[in-house]
Amino acid sequence: MRKSKLPVSLAVLLLVALAVSMMPGCTPAAPAGQKVIKLGLSIPFTGAAAEKGAPIGQGQLDAIKYINDEKGGVEGYKIEPVWYDTAYDSAKATTIVKKLMDDGCSLFTVVASKDMTASKEAANRAAFPGMVCFSSPSLTHPPQHIYAQLPDYGDDWAAFARYYLQNIWKGEGKPRMALMLLSNSTGYGVRDAARAAAADLGIEIVATEEHTATTISETDALTRIKDKNPDVLFISSTPAPTAVILKNAYDLKMIPGITVGCAHASFTKALTDLAGKDVTEGIYGVYPTVNWGDDVPGMAKMMEYSKKYHPEYAGNNDYLIGWASSLINAEILRQAIKVSGAEAIAKGDAASWALVEKNGFMNVKNYDVEGLHGPVDFSNPVDKRGSKSVKIFKVQDGKMVSQTGWVDAPNILYENLDWFGK
Amino acid sequence: MTNLLQYTVTGLAVGMIYALIALGFALIWKSSRVANLALGQLVLISSWFTYSMLVQARLPIWAGMIMTILFAIFLGWMIERFTLRPLIGQPILSLIAVTLGIGYFLEGVVTVVWPVSVAKLPPLFPQEAVTIGTAVISQEYLWAAGISLVLFGLLSLFFKFHKMGIAMRASADDQLAVQACAVPITSIFSMSWIFACVVAAIGGILISSIGGITNGLVETGFKSFSVVILGGLDSFIGCMVAGPIIGLCENVGAGYLTPILGPGIKDLIPFVIIIIVMMIKPYGLFGEERIERI
Amino acid sequence: MSLPCGIRNYSYNTDTAIIRTKTQWVLFGLFLVLLFTMPLYLPRSGLDVMNLMGITIVSIVGLNILVGYCGQLSIGHAGFMAVGAYTTAILTGNLGLPFWASFILSGFSAGLVGLFFGMPSLRVKGFYLAITTIAAQFIIIWIINHWSDVTHGSMGISVAPANIGPFQFESEASQFYLIMSVAGLSVLFATNLARSRIGRAFVAVRDNDLAAEVMGINVFTYKLLAFFLGCFFAGIAGSLFAQWRGNITSEDFTFGQSILYIGILIIGGLGTAIGPILGVVFIRLLEQFVLFLSPLIEQTFSGLPSGFATGLGPLVFGLAMIVFLVIEPRGLAHRWQLFKASYRMWPFSY
Repeated sequence: MRKSKLPVSLAVLLLVALAVSMMPGCTPAAPAGQKVIKLGLSIPFTGAAAEKGAPIGQGQLDAIKYINDEKGGVEGYKIEPVWYDTAYDSAKATTIVKKLMDDGCSLFTVVASKDMTASKEAANRAAFPGMVCFSSPSLTHPPQHIYAQLPDYGDDWAAFARYYLQNIWKGEGKPRMALMLLSNSTGYGVRDAARAAAADLGIEIVATEEHTATTISETDALTRIKDKNPDVLFISSTPAPTAVILKNAYDLKMIPGITVGCAHASFTKALTDLAGKDVTEGIYGVYPTVNWGDDVPGMAKMMEYSKKYHPEYAGNNDYLIGWASSLINAEILRQAIKVSGAEAIAKGDAASWALVEKNGFMNVKNYDVEGLHGPVDFSNPVDKRGSKSVKIFKVQDGKMVSQTGWVDAPNILYENLDWFGK
Repeated sequence: MTNLLQYTVTGLAVGMIYALIALGFALIWKSSRVANLALGQLVLISSWFTYSMLVQARLPIWAGMIMTILFAIFLGWMIERFTLRPLIGQPILSLIAVTLGIGYFLEGVVTVVWPVSVAKLPPLFPQEAVTIGTAVISQEYLWAAGISLVLFGLLSLFFKFHKMGIAMRASADDQLAVQACAVPITSIFSMSWIFACVVAAIGGILISSIGGITNGLVETGFKSFSVVILGGLDSFIGCMVAGPIIGLCENVGAGYLTPILGPGIKDLIPFVIIIIVMMIKPYGLFGEERIERI
Repeated sequence: MSLPCGIRNYSYNTDTAIIRTKTQWVLFGLFLVLLFTMPLYLPRSGLDVMNLMGITIVSIVGLNILVGYCGQLSIGHAGFMAVGAYTTAILTGNLGLPFWASFILSGFSAGLVGLFFGMPSLRVKGFYLAITTIAAQFIIIWIINHWSDVTHGSMGISVAPANIGPFQFESEASQFYLIMSVAGLSVLFATNLARSRIGRAFVAVRDNDLAAEVMGINVFTYKLLAFFLGCFFAGIAGSLFAQWRGNITSEDFTFGQSILYIGILIIGGLGTAIGPILGVVFIRLLEQFVLFLSPLIEQTFSGLPSGFATGLGPLVFGLAMIVFLVIEPRGLAHRWQLFKASYRMWPFSY
């Protein structure tokens, strides 16, 4: 008899799972009648992007706790985070954004550009407005209902290129730049930006090399780059392979020597931890937020909450990005509520999405995010990037020291170039 | 040309690391005909355990190493005992699928126990680079290559001369016959999994000391498939030879083909090699060739 | 054959019928009604899950033909789906072909690519062949990433929803009908294929290819045919996926997906008609369950270490796979047969 019980219990389990998973918004929410607005979050807590996804996600959730507990929510309404783990899997990401729509969220935020690429069609077709922390050109061009919190990797490159030309390049004519790119959207964003704008900016790209996220040696690529005699090397990758590249370059005696700049995906404390002080000394990097510990209004509360709830992420700038994204979402909701009233926004249906976009996003002009990163402006209908400015940092003695104020990254109109995808 | 020397040196060194991981795969295949798809995750979890020992518990290096080896032994025993033993005699595909499940499970365990997803091991080898002629190579790679060779030597000797090693080879050939000879199949499987986990642990320590511990360790496991195929799925000497060959092809080939074919060709080379090998010499350079005649 | 007690077959037609008894017809009818009225009572995310299931079923049906019936282990299925998806994207987007044309052409293109990579099956078997398909997977993805003038590399291509004539399948519900119809037809095709001469040849090749060769079956031809058919289904599944999702990139068809498909097939039951369906339903529901579980645990037990809830996902998934395979290595289809048998013999089942 034991054997025949199994299929029955399996069937029961299947039915239960089916029923439970189909019920929208079945999180233990506040009892009905309490004033809540649902904010959808799509976070890669596990999987290949967990190294960035986990701290960002926790930053987002802690900031919401802070807003609800100490600031009383948004205009008296508490923000209820509805979050799911995408595991950096595109199929899951699509399902999640549809779930968020069904769960009655008023807007949503996705962390990773790959997850947003998977969600954007569904969101755009339903006019469900969303923000992405790490963007890429294809998400915001052509502009529809997806907004970017931070500049993308192409913007990093453009900003760094301008900074280099104005402040570091002392020679004649065009500087020679080599690109070391991760073979996914992180790297390709830079490749496309360089292809679109290098000539205009006055830079000559002499070498482009690619690598995978799991590489253990890039000596061969660096040897080829060394042959071309570049003046500056720009790396767009994640911390681990960047550390490998820098170590190999150090062994080959390329650094210290040529100028090296890193895009923001790899320029975090993880890089200096992995590569070590000697190798990273004098490396430049682009980062769209201030550094942990800088003296800005929002820093104190963030450090307090991180120490209390997630001390393992203290010092991690990704946590800062997550914290900032929740502050921005709160501001968007506040602007929307001011015009349309909280009832309409809290409904979480297609009408409220339109209101959130028109009166929320579009009314956020120069919000300072308590100083944590560049001012956010969503009011431009052709430029869906919120923050267009970055800071250039230099690594000195293992610490990232800021070299500039907020530097603007120019808006590259990719859609006008015929080689750019739809 | 000076570049050629650099490419060669780098290629050989990197290839030895691939070979080390491939050894783990070949071990399990050689003794039980199971394809261990969880190899990358085994490497990952051993690396994280080492990190725990060396950084979180602050043990001295030799103690940390011993603890890691013990952990690998324990892990191999657990896997064999609870997931593979019940599946003895089942179709081979189920066994492959169960290693898949083990892989996912280990990934979950890693995320639960070590929520931070990137970490660095304290430097285990001297950091300065060594110059060979005009080529430069970091000492870590040389140490890794050296340790791979030592391991290979030990394993080959074990399989050739030790009673247990011979039993393992016999069980890969014909399980039933071995059981009929009163050799306990279960202990053979246990031993082979334990060895494989230990090899994976050592490989993990070496790789993570070079590049840090990240989730990418899992994918390095996939690259070593090409090594295993080229060398022959059940041959250790095949791994040792094929590893450097693949490393060489990758680096030298990429070195000269990239200007022509564009960047990124380096990643494609191992897989094109697989296809070519399949067309020409399917069982690899040193694999046991199965000749079937009607 | 497993038929209820007392049913006898007196003609060839009744013997070969898939749905034999009146009870089975009634149950089948109810199932169809339940399935096709789902858009009425499921929310959009539920339909989304069902759509994904439908697409996966088409793909796994193909994989079942290749691996289950013909025994050629292939761990590159996601790559072949990618071929189909990108063919549709390029044909409908750049060349403006109507959807049904590019749908069929996607199947053919994936089938041809599968044919090419299946050629080593002449010389190798078993896991060696599997490694070739793994290489195929990586090569296909590499080509997609680097042939960026045509495929836009990792930025992805947008695909318009399918259309038959002027009717566009815009809403989730209309997609549901389209996908379920294709899935149903695929399952029917595969089941009948298995019972035909070709299917029997496949099974002969799987069980003992030397004996099959001796009996006069041209083993190489049938192996290639299996690759073609299996990858044809992958192609049309990829095509459906492209127009359902609206946007495809190379990162949608990873090696991890290929491994997942093999896992689904094995859990469902290799070489059975109903295996793919059961496997897909089980795994996709498990995924949803796990997806749903993480935030719930995080909220109710906030004192746990931070990695706990999120690591739980893959942990439960892997554990379920392991437990499942240990208890029932022949897959859910076998369990289903046992269940039917015990049900029929109740109260004398044991």
